Parts: sequence; structure tokens; C-alpha cells
Amino acid sequence: MERLRALVRKEWEELFKIKMVIYGSVFLPLLMGGFAGFMVWTARDVPPEAQATLLNTALMYFLILPVMIPSTLAVYSIVGEKEQGTLEPLLATPLSDWELFLGKAVVAVVPALALTWALFGVFLAAVQVMLGQIPSTVLTLPWLLSMFLLAPLLSLFAVLVSMLVSSRTSDPRAAYQFSGLAVVPTLIPLIVYSARFTAVNLFFVVGEGGGLILLNAVLLYIAVRVFQREQVLTRWK
Amino acid sequence: MIRTEKLTRTFGSRIAVEGLTLEAQEGEILGLLGPNGAGKTTTVRMLACLLAPSSGEAWVGGHSVLREPQRVRRLVGILTESPGFYKRLTVERNLRFFAELYGVKEPGPAVQRTLERLGLWDRRKEPVATLSKGLRQRLAIARALVHDPKILFLDEPTAGLDPESARSVRDFIGELASDRRTILLCTHNLAEAEELCKRIAVLRTRLVALDTPAALKSRLFGTRVAVDLAQPRPDLLASLHLPFVGEVSLDGHTLTVAVDDPERDNPKLVRRLVELGAEIRYVQRLERTLEEVYLELMGGSDGAP
Ligand SMILES: Nc1ncnc2c1ncn2[C@@H]1O[C@H](COP(=O)(O)OP(=O)(O)O)[C@@H](O)[C@H]1O
Ligand SMILES: [Mg+2]
Repeated sequence: MERLRALVRKEWEELFKIKMVIYGSVFLPLLMGGFAGFMVWTARDVPPEAQATLLNTALMYFLILPVMIPSTLAVYSIVGEKEQGTLEPLLATPLSDWELFLGKAVVAVVPALALTWALFGVFLAAVQVMLGQIPSTVLTLPWLLSMFLLAPLLSLFAVLVSMLVSSRTSDPRAAYQFSGLAVVPTLIPLIVYSARFTAVNLFFVVGEGGGLILLNAVLLYIAVRVFQREQVLTRWK
Repeated sequence: MIRTEKLTRTFGSRIAVEGLTLEAQEGEILGLLGPNGAGKTTTVRMLACLLAPSSGEAWVGGHSVLREPQRVRRLVGILTESPGFYKRLTVERNLRFFAELYGVKEPGPAVQRTLERLGLWDRRKEPVATLSKGLRQRLAIARALVHDPKILFLDEPTAGLDPESARSVRDFIGELASDRRTILLCTHNLAEAEELCKRIAVLRTRLVALDTPAALKSRLFGTRVAVDLAQPRPDLLASLHLPFVGEVSLDGHTLTVAVDDPERDNPKLVRRLVELGAEIRYVQRLERTLEEVYLELMGGSDGAP
């Protein structure tokens, strides 16, 4: 536990010094927050049904964030170790394989969710201010499940994909692009919602959640193997 | 303190280390000498529980690397072949991180003590990126020492350093030996092995020889005596006829004779030479350099290329 904490603290200090990472983690939330804010602004003087549709689109921006932010963090935190040749000294310490893996995942998932949820809070406040109240279509079960179940599952998915991709390449940009590609399927709900095929509904949310749990289980199974000392030392390129 | 028993590691069909059996005593610097690809790094990685042996077993500080890897990792300090650091973080921060991972109770004082000992305390606030290669290597040694391990693995500690930095690293290793630490020193540098190590294990996939530098030299070649003559006497080469005499050669005035046991054989040799009418100016013992021994060992072994 102590070691895990030491690792996470080190990672954050290090990531904080990388401009790309900082820009990525600031720019995206601002952009997505801006879009969501714009939706709220447009939703001021429209009938309740149109308002619900607009706000549903805003919700989707909050599902992009937990995918995009942790990819950048995970890629840099893995590729950084490889590039600097710190993996072997790190693996020579009593840090367990499991702690290494968990540490790297936490490093990326936690800030992503913190930022997402913080921005969601700001969004709710903006809705309250601009619309005078939070419409009943916003704090429904599918909305809450999206924010508090899908968002963590999505960011875990993004992190696992990024970690696996990064273990195979030492070029952060390549890793970043590739893991960006792998993340596309998780954006399906965005496409579905914004094309207005369907409103945010429980069935869709639960279905996607179930699919993600399955995918994550498979990725976790692979990742735990990839993160064995022996593998890290001999197979990581 | 360190013991291996038929330790073997293969990568696919390539054998990196085969049937290595050796032992390092407490407080000893044991050299692991061999050319590139001899399996030194692989051996150290197995002993540091970074790689699992394909077969065989090893014990470090009394703990099995197979069954108690976590205990072993806590116990040893390692200077890896290419010691990387987090370049953006400061010297102090880097070291502190590793102190924390090794579970050092009071990382602050331990980091300070170690940095001071390696002369890096003044540079503690600088990012590692600004350090020269020599200073980085010192920091790497600091990392290996920060948790005060009883057992140290040093993998080519002076490789790629300028002579001055290499000298200071070597001096420091010499000092470490006096703290009763057990050190396994990998090197392909003969002078380094001879200077620092009490015993040397010559490795080329398999163990080729294991002994003190002096014993390695004499065991392999016996002892040679150089006899300086007043006149060149090529005829002596054919007429010595002594049972204990091995190889004989003449270079100008100097006759070089290999004998089994100099203290027993030299008087007889001298008497025989005088009988043959030689005028002897000096008789002296010739040392083989460790390099000659090493090349002989490497040439004579049938290890992997
Ligand atoms: N991860 C690896 N994968 C495949 N072969 C390896 C690996 N590590 C080492 N080897 C091989 O094992 C042999 C010994 O290498 P190494 O232990 O690094 O030797 P040394 O440190 O003495 O130079 C070499 O032939 C090397 O190519
Ligand atoms: Mg090596």
C-alpha cells in the first residue's frame, strides 16, 4: 500500500512536468465543458422535449472525457518508463507486479474521473443558473448510471487499452494514436445519441455497461499477464 | 550469502546461462568476468528475481529466489546495466522514490546520508537530466545503496564512463567492501576485476573458472622464470632435458622457462644451466597478466560464441 502510494505520487509529479500531458488534461475538459455549456445556453428558450434532447447531447461530452484524458496519462506513464530506462530498477524493488499495474492504472483513471465529475458539477450549476432549475430529465437513473457507472468503466477501458498498446511501442505519439483508435467503439453512444436515434435510456446504458464490463475483464486478464516482471523486462519494446 | 546451484536460463533455443554453480561468502567481492553475451546480466537478473531461472536454484541471503522473491528483492541493492532515472525529477526526488519503494523507514535522512556519501548532496535540487554520465552512475550507486542492503549486485559499474569517473566509481566500490557487504561485480574489464575482486568467476554461458586472480594466473600457466644470460645461447633450448621444465623460449639474452614449482625447481634449473656453461646475470619470476589468462580461458572453452 505504501509502495503503491509512493508510485502514484511519483507518477503525478512526473506527469505534471510534461507539457503535452498538462495541455491534454486542461484543453479537453475546457473544450467539452464549453460544448456542454453551449448546449445549456441553447436550451434556454425551447420547449421541454427539445430541451431534453439538447441536454442529452451534453451528457455525451461527459462520456468522452473519461476516455480521452486517461489515454494521454497512461501512455506517457508507460512510455516514459521505457524511454528513460527506469523499468528495470523499478522492477528490482519490492514493488509487486500487481502494484505496478494498479499504480499505473490509478494514475490515469483517478484524475480523469475527478475532472469529469468536477466538470459535471459545474455543468449542473450552469443548468441551474441558466435554466432556473435542473430539468427532471437530467437527474434520471440513466443519466446517473452514465456518469457513475459508464464513465468509470469507459476510463478503465481506455486505460487498459492504452497500457497494453504502450507496452508494445516506445513512441508516445504512435501509442497515443493507436489507443485513440481502439477507443472509438466506446464513442458509439455519442453517435447514437447525437444522431437522435434514441434518447438516453436505461436499456442502452445498461447494455453498454455490460459490454464494457466484459471487455474490461478480458483486457484485465491480458494486462495482468503483460505486467509480469519477466514479460516487462523481456517483451516490452 | 549468494549461492547458485546449476542455475540455467534459456531464451527460446538460446542458452544464456548454463549450469552455473557458485558461492559468494559474506563480505566478499566476487567478480563475474566474461565477454559481452557471456550471461552476466542474465545471472544478475535471476539473482535479483527479475528473471526466473529455466532450471536450477539460487539463494540470496539465505532466501530462495524461486520461493521468496519478495524477501530477496528487499535484501539486495542492484546497479542495473543501463540505470535509468526520471529525468524531469530532481536527484533527491528520484532517490526518495526508490527509498520509499524499498520500504526505508525514514527516507529523508537515508536519502541525505546516501547523497552525501556519493558527493551528490549539493546537486540534490537539480533534475537528473542535467547530470553528466559519471554523476548519473554515482546516483545509480546511491540508488543501489539507499536501503543499506547487505548484498549488492553491480552490473558493469564503469562501462561507458570516462577514465576519471571510472576511477572514482572503482574507489568507491573498494570502500564498500570494507562495510562487510557482499558484492557481485559483473565486468568485462580485467583490470577492474583484478583490482576489486577477491575471487573471480570467469563466465562464458558456463562457468569456466572460479578462483582468486593470483591462483587463476598460476594455476593456468604454472610459473615462468626469466633467466638473463651474458650471451645468447640458442643451443640451450635443445639441451636442457629437465623433467619439471615445460615450455622454453629464448629471446635475445633472455631464456624463459616454465617450471612446475619454482622454489623446488629453480635451484636445479640454475645448476643445470651452469653445467651447460651458461653465464647467468639475473634470474627472475615472470607474472602472467590476467589478460593472458583470460584470453587463454576464453580460447580454450567451448561455450556459446
Ligand atoms: N531478453 C532476452 N531475450 C533473448 N535473449 C536474451 C535476452 N537477454 C539476454 N539474451 C541473450 O542471452 C545471452 C547473454 O546475455 P547477457 O546476460 O546480457 O550477457 P552479458 O551481460 O554477459 O553481456 C546473450 O546471447 C543474449 O543475446
Ligand atoms: Mg550485460
